[in-house]
Amino acid sequence: MSALDSATATPFPEPPSKRRRVDGDTMNSTPQYNSPGNPVGARDSTPPHDTGLVEQTQGLSIHRERASRSQSRERYHSRSPTSSHDGSRSRSRSRSRSRSRSLSRSRSRSPTPYSRSQSRSRSRSQSISRSQSAQPTPPSIHRPPIRPNYQPHLCLKGHMKAISQVRISPDGRWIASASADATAKIWDAATGECLDTIVGHMAGISCLAWAPDSNTIATGSDDKAIRLWDRLTGNPAHAAHSTPDATGKEYRGSSTIRGGRTGNGPLLGHHNYVYCLAFSPKGNILASGSYDEAVFLWDVRAGRLMRSLPAHSDPVSGIGFCNDGTLVVSCSTDGLIRIWDTSTGQCLRTLVHEDNPAVTNVCFSPNGRFVLAFNLDNSIRLWDYVSGSVKKTYQGHKNKGFSIGGCFGALTYADDGYEADKDDKPQPFIVSASEDGDVVMWDVVDKRIVQRITGAHDGVCFWVDVNRETMVSCGQDNTIKVFRHRPSRQLEAQLNGTTPNEVNGHVEEDRLAPDDGDAMAVDMDMELQRQIEGELVKEEQF
Amino acid sequence: MNLLLSDDYLLQDYPENITNTIRSGHSTCVRFNRKGDYLASGRGDGTVVVWDIETMGVARKLRGHSKQIQSLSWSWCGRYLLSACAGWKAILWDLQDGKKYREVRFRAPVYGAELHPWNHHQFAAALFEAQPVLVDVQDRKDVQYTLPTAPEYDTTKQTTTAMIYTAKGTHLLSGTSKGRLNIIDTTTRQLIYSEKIAERSAVLLLRLTESGKDFLVNSNDGIIRTFHLPDLSAPDLDPDTIQLPLEHKFQDVVNKLRWGHVTFSATGEYVAASAHNNHELYIWERAHGSLVRMLEGPKEESTYLEWHPHRALLVACGAETGRINIWSVTSPQKWSALAPDFVEVEDNVEYIEKEDEFDIHPHEEIQKRRLDQEDEDIEVMGVVANKTELEKEADNFRMPILFDLGESDSEDEFINVGFGTLRRKSPGDQDDGEGTGGEKAPAKKRGRGKKK
Repeated sequence: MSALDSATATPFPEPPSKRRRVDGDTMNSTPQYNSPGNPVGARDSTPPHDTGLVEQTQGLSIHRERASRSQSRERYHSRSPTSSHDGSRSRSRSRSRSRSRSLSRSRSRSPTPYSRSQSRSRSRSQSISRSQSAQPTPPSIHRPPIRPNYQPHLCLKGHMKAISQVRISPDGRWIASASADATAKIWDAATGECLDTIVGHMAGISCLAWAPDSNTIATGSDDKAIRLWDRLTGNPAHAAHSTPDATGKEYRGSSTIRGGRTGNGPLLGHHNYVYCLAFSPKGNILASGSYDEAVFLWDVRAGRLMRSLPAHSDPVSGIGFCNDGTLVVSCSTDGLIRIWDTSTGQCLRTLVHEDNPAVTNVCFSPNGRFVLAFNLDNSIRLWDYVSGSVKKTYQGHKNKGFSIGGCFGALTYADDGYEADKDDKPQPFIVSASEDGDVVMWDVVDKRIVQRITGAHDGVCFWVDVNRETMVSCGQDNTIKVFRHRPSRQLEAQLNGTTPNEVNGHVEEDRLAPDDGDAMAVDMDMELQRQIEGELVKEEQF
Repeated sequence: MNLLLSDDYLLQDYPENITNTIRSGHSTCVRFNRKGDYLASGRGDGTVVVWDIETMGVARKLRGHSKQIQSLSWSWCGRYLLSACAGWKAILWDLQDGKKYREVRFRAPVYGAELHPWNHHQFAAALFEAQPVLVDVQDRKDVQYTLPTAPEYDTTKQTTTAMIYTAKGTHLLSGTSKGRLNIIDTTTRQLIYSEKIAERSAVLLLRLTESGKDFLVNSNDGIIRTFHLPDLSAPDLDPDTIQLPLEHKFQDVVNKLRWGHVTFSATGEYVAASAHNNHELYIWERAHGSLVRMLEGPKEESTYLEWHPHRALLVACGAETGRINIWSVTSPQKWSALAPDFVEVEDNVEYIEKEDEFDIHPHEEIQKRRLDQEDEDIEVMGVVANKTELEKEADNFRMPILFDLGESDSEDEFINVGFGTLRRKSPGDQDDGEGTGGEKAPAKKRGRGKKK
């Protein structure tokens, strides 16, 4: 669990000498993946069922689902003993280094949280007092930058197997989840009620996408089909052509047209697992990426295959549309990120990192000027696709073997408890899932971790999606977690009304027990720390 | 966003060859919306089809007319579409739900109707052998105001055949069957200017450029005239001093061609025209007034032309088949885009090795250096621009995505017959149905056969 501590140490404000040591540390643990001499080491084949697997029984389901897809996943997974060893080392170091600011949000599970946080809080009171001194004066001119502060809100259970993707609808009211149990579910984002279970796929569902009007979802599955569903009824969205003709059989063999659908059936055309999906901003085009290494663009209305792009030389692992719909980005485990012109189907740019790490997920920045790529070397890279250079590298999460997801999030001062006003620009952050079950958020510009939700899931956390103050994550433990941003001002107000004893009492309860009805708004440990720090600050003032 | 990556601005700005053919019934007139992402086409049977240019598929079908569609006009926001048919009526459609927003009946067949540039509750209609009208559809019950056709001193019998709004909507330009060009103030509904521009031949068509500073007149004498239009909304406008300077006359003096339909290019730089009894499309350049290109297309005459509002893309209706042919330019795939370590160079470049090019650094040092370099301040969020109410409304409207288009229309050209297989429904029938990219469609071959 604490393997992340070693990675946390890499970000930016660390003194150089320490970082070098840490880098050396990661080098030792995984030399062959980072060395340029063996850039594709990630995809070397290993027997899919390694002994390492036995450790994580829950992981088996998704591994079986995806066994034939990417041996890299198996490989990395099997390495988990090594990494945990690495983690134990770094944990010991992280203690000694506890003064560093980058650690301010991370914590390791300690049996005596109170004493630990006391000992640490002194080192951090500096940063905290800075932000708090700014808060008591609310005038709109000098507001502190918004820090994401997502706290557990709901835990949604119902899927029988691991959940590969979860996404919030564009209007923020619904949550859709896709699972290896071949079903997708639609949830009410406010209440957590399961509104519909979508059954129809013959194999595990790897991906889903919301249409921009929030009324249709598309799911892509290992049965090679893409299906469109009506959110309201949970039925397949109706297709253009209703009834197959009786005379159809004679044409079947001769026709060369690939792609399309019959009745309200699926979109067929991919030769292998459908692995990623994205709607265009207008909702008229659906882009899909598959294990058959191609990217397909579909006319959503007619269910017609518009364009097939011979995109990659490895499974297409991620796909995204830019905000005006003119560009499509796709990525693959071959390490390439390609930018396509939607209207002509031409490749306009290819982005490759020198180390050529496999790319497992990709998306455009909200303004469409950058591309965020999730690499299998524990890094997320922000590319300027026009100049073809990496602008930022975000590290501190764990991503070595799975297609994990993340996205851009943004909060406004209105979300943060201030009054809305005109120049309330959304302040962006980057959020990603992590293979140790955490959810990690970074500042876009200075690359620092601004929040880490530790242990959001048991096992791998596969996907995170944010829609303003709502965040959802899903993982190997078959659950979906919903988080809510707690405005810093509100928190402050609460803080003044609580006593430490009450806080302690809460901590005694199951920390992240999701089925506990009371676990609603609590990431206890963190809140505890803050409150204690708040106390300390008060004491200092006295 | 794709403009950041493409060199398409280097491409020529007029279309080159047919890139798509789309079809739904027999199209008689086409019109792009302001953004250029939807194309409305009016059919001979009175159906209006809205095409999505991005997918080249049908986005909506509007049924309500029973006669041939004569003209189409989009509202500024793209939500409303005015269609006028030969059957004495015009319908203003709300594309949000596909229903009739307003229906207006006239006392005569309609030549054409055009919506006010930004107020979708007002439009002007030119009627067959009747006075033109200005229609206010603010309320469900429409109000029609009769407009003058010609100044009182001109007593010859004539009707208004074409009418367009100026860019600001303050005035109307109208052309009559006797070659007269009028300017009408829309508030007073009075003629403020009138001039005979074509002797004894009817004005067939008026078109305004996007900027509203130039317009063209196509008349029956085989001459396309382009004019500069002064700013008529200027507060100190004196109607007596209005002058419409003639810029160019485009004609084919050799073949004595008569022009069918004419359009300006996106920027107004070019003028494209289809000709009667001729399969080619003519493109003139306005700067020099020279013919730059004759587009060879299908073996049929084109009836209605429309240039995309910002791309080098020209749309024409085929007279015989009713297909919609789309001409555009295609840029070649740049191979360097596929492999970033390759660069396309014009000449040989002597490579000079850098001093430290093959130095070996420890990996962590490289990594550290890389990370340290990433200190740029970047902006990933969108820029919030100040927008007018009208722009906000236009942004808010989003054409709904319909899945049941096929069920509302059983006459489709292609039907799905299982597992990703399409077949043509009845190859002999070309009255209805639709298809995209149907370059090799049998109906077209038949059309060619007829000609020969």
